[in-house]
Amino acid sequence: MRPPKSADRFLSWFCQGKLLEEVKGDLHESYRIERAHKRRWHANMIYWYEVLHFLRPFAMKGKRKNSKKTIMYKSYLKFAVRNVLKHKATAIMNVLSLGVGIACFIFIFIYLKGELSYDRFHHDADRIYRVVIDFVDSNQRRLPDATTPPALAPALKRDFPEVASSVRLYPNWGRKFLLGASNNNKFHEEGLIYTDSTFFDVFSFPAIYGDTQNALAYPDQMVITRSAARKYFGKEDVVGEVLTMYGGKNETFRISAVLEDVPVHSHFKFDFLLKISRQNLEQDWGWYNYYTYIKLSPGADVANLEVKFQPFYESYQNEQENHNIIYSQALTDIHLKSNLKWELEANGDMNNVYIFAILAVFVLVVSCINYLNLTVAESYKRFKEVGIRKVFGAYKKSLIALFMIETLLIISISLVVGSILSELLFKYLGEILGREISLLQPENLGIFLGICLVVLVTGIIAGLFPALHLSSFKAALAVKGIFNRAGRSALGLRKGLLVIQFAISAFMIFGTIVVYRQLQYMKNADKGFLPEQVMVIENAKSIKNQEAFKTELLKVANIPAASLSSGVLGGLNWTRTLGYPDGFVMNLFDIEPEFIETMGLEFVTGRNFSRERPTDVQGLTIVVNETGLRELGMTHEDVGKSLPLASQNDSITTYGKVIGVVKDFHFTDFKKEIKPFAFFYRERPMDYLNLKVSAGNLSETLVAIEDIWYDFTDGIPMKYTFLDQTFADLHAREKRLSDIILCLTILALFIAFMGMFAIANMTVKDRLKEIAIRKVLGASVTGISNMVTKKFLLLVLVANVIACPVAYFTMQKWLEGFAYRTSLGLALFLVAIGSTLLVTWTTVGFRVLRAAFSNPVKNLRPE
Amino acid sequence: MKGTQLGEFEELVLLIVGVLFPEAYGLGIRQEINDQTGRKVAIGAIHSALNRLESKGYLKSELANATHERGGRRKRLFHITVAGKRALEKNHEIRNSLWNQIPDLAWKRLSYDKSI
Repeated sequence: MRPPKSADRFLSWFCQGKLLEEVKGDLHESYRIERAHKRRWHANMIYWYEVLHFLRPFAMKGKRKNSKKTIMYKSYLKFAVRNVLKHKATAIMNVLSLGVGIACFIFIFIYLKGELSYDRFHHDADRIYRVVIDFVDSNQRRLPDATTPPALAPALKRDFPEVASSVRLYPNWGRKFLLGASNNNKFHEEGLIYTDSTFFDVFSFPAIYGDTQNALAYPDQMVITRSAARKYFGKEDVVGEVLTMYGGKNETFRISAVLEDVPVHSHFKFDFLLKISRQNLEQDWGWYNYYTYIKLSPGADVANLEVKFQPFYESYQNEQENHNIIYSQALTDIHLKSNLKWELEANGDMNNVYIFAILAVFVLVVSCINYLNLTVAESYKRFKEVGIRKVFGAYKKSLIALFMIETLLIISISLVVGSILSELLFKYLGEILGREISLLQPENLGIFLGICLVVLVTGIIAGLFPALHLSSFKAALAVKGIFNRAGRSALGLRKGLLVIQFAISAFMIFGTIVVYRQLQYMKNADKGFLPEQVMVIENAKSIKNQEAFKTELLKVANIPAASLSSGVLGGLNWTRTLGYPDGFVMNLFDIEPEFIETMGLEFVTGRNFSRERPTDVQGLTIVVNETGLRELGMTHEDVGKSLPLASQNDSITTYGKVIGVVKDFHFTDFKKEIKPFAFFYRERPMDYLNLKVSAGNLSETLVAIEDIWYDFTDGIPMKYTFLDQTFADLHAREKRLSDIILCLTILALFIAFMGMFAIANMTVKDRLKEIAIRKVLGASVTGISNMVTKKFLLLVLVANVIACPVAYFTMQKWLEGFAYRTSLGLALFLVAIGSTLLVTWTTVGFRVLRAAFSNPVKNLRPE
Repeated sequence: MKGTQLGEFEELVLLIVGVLFPEAYGLGIRQEINDQTGRKVAIGAIHSALNRLESKGYLKSELANATHERGGRRKRLFHITVAGKRALEKNHEIRNSLWNQIPDLAWKRLSYDKSI
């Protein structure tokens, strides 16, 4: 029951003696009270907090203005400032390299904090779970999937007393809704989620107007966000207003509540919430299109619940045809640890978080080493100063204090520089990060102060060595200007530190190249189809006569092909269990015959759909990719035969004919193996219109297309994307990683070479006389520069030898995450090693050559 | 430099000292403030206010007997001085007089706003 001794000692140290008794008494008494119902660490923290609150002028020991100590520290500060001003170049270099390192560190940690804080804004976020069901096909292969049937959520609530509330989400599934407050104020919206009235029991999205309690009680109610309200009504308090959903029935919805905009750290985002109003969902266990979230009652143990899920789920399934696996995920783990099919939004990756954290520490370490190196290198200049101080009676302790104050001064300046730099980084890299960040945002202020503390502590540790080193000189020797053993061992240390710095830099260069190569590989790899110059119109359903529209389009010179489809390659497709006797999940969508040409798909065998053949038009034939054919258990000989395609309850339900096989193509990211894909042929209006646009004047073509578009629609804006962009988005995460790593690598290299340059500078200055004498005796410029450069090159070579194997294994591990990947060749090593050597050679060489070219008389005359 | 103005927090502390008579000491005052107003304050803030009030002459204090909960340390007990009482009275009067000067119409207007 005793409060922490360290806090007490601290209190006694600063608190006035006459106050100490009552203050300590109060604090101890309060500690006892807190301790009665709080954990030890918590009570201790509160105790510390209270103690720190006594750091007020009234309680502190009277420090008289002219006490010896005050004067001394003041003079130390003065010396520190003078010294910094005297060695401006070194000081600037120190501040810059430290500042850059600190900026990187702050930048990454604030970014990571954002990544880690996903979904934590909900009340009791630790009690909220998502329940998901992985598909298992009859070959026992597990296909992770985030979606669940609509009957699951109500059943969970009904069957388990531990489940306090459950809610379903039904997102737009790629559909766009045309909403409007009036006829001339319509927008296409994607951020629409259908959900249950229990939505607000599970999630906490605060309302600014209206009451969330009954906000989704009736199917004609709608909840919207603040920015959506602004967009449609120009004001925020819009409870009671009406929004219309155009198309079909022109449904109207009354707005029941206005929410704050969804925080960026939410794994799903929306602008509109509607009530699920479909009938008979409570019995539907077969339609996997809903997301299920549950909130447990306080004190319920998820592990206990988890074991009951599988029997519970199976009790609702008829027979043994289905071996799917049901389990739950903590809400706060979804963003970083879940990577299922059909996630509501592209998630982050825990591995990238680790990579970034390591990089941040690397950069900070490199810059601290740099500081250490520069300071130790400079120390010989202060040899005499230390000697004189010692002669006049300075203690070792006070010398250390002097040097530490200098360190603190430099670090404080660097911290300011670093903060400003990182703020700039946030500004310019917001694009890469995908969101806006600032140090001044209240949620970041705390962590920023934490980082400052970390930096200060690291800096002080880095400054401790030079301080100890400098203060250890022997007075007599120092005054005479004789280097003792300490001086030489410091040289060895400097070399060692340089090697570490360069090893880290080489490692980062290597990593950057590998990530970049993999990106290039994915960009240039044969995808099996040609996404370049394919434009996809996403709201083709709005066209009144799609056939006529296509005919008009094909008259435009730059459009060689156009075709409708019900999905987008690399964007959106449907799935269905196919295969007999063993079912598996087949990806599919409907197309027209021209789709093959538009996409540049290649036939391996068989034929394309034909508009003339009745069986094709009736939809009894399919075209599959090679993987699809293999999964169906067919060979090339089976193409063209009518074979059973799907079964239910052991009876064949679907016969079909595979008429053609196309070459495998990538429609997911390169991390996954190519999946089976099938095309069906339907003649009906479809959502997507794919256009091949040949190179040439793109904007002119676009104008032509839009002209035709407005002839065929009633004023709805055309929505389109380019397929190669869709495909690039699949690899947005890798692109982001590569961009950030590149930035950091450049910075780390920059810091390392500043250190290198400074040390080269020092070495050359030390040897100016030697160089001059050698020159007088006839040494050539190249000979002299080689003599000095050689040693540095050797150091960098050693650094590379250390870094390369480590980098090789790390990056190999990273690449293993991709099903399709580039290889790590010898050339990669050569580039990494070569570039460090080259830069070293130029930095050091530049400095040496200047010395070698100078007139020897100039350097020999003084003294 | 020290004025005789009574700050908001100081006034609160001074009143609580009166309420707790004769057992007013640092931690007890904090407890009372929390109970009566729901405000959470650090012990340091209380001590600082007490210190200021004492130097302004509004409070007097003496050390009481040691108790076990405090590890054998004595508490400092505070009580209000005549000057303290006068300062409180003055504040009270000013407040009452200002309150009485607010025209009734101002309150009527409020209830009108609400009904809209």
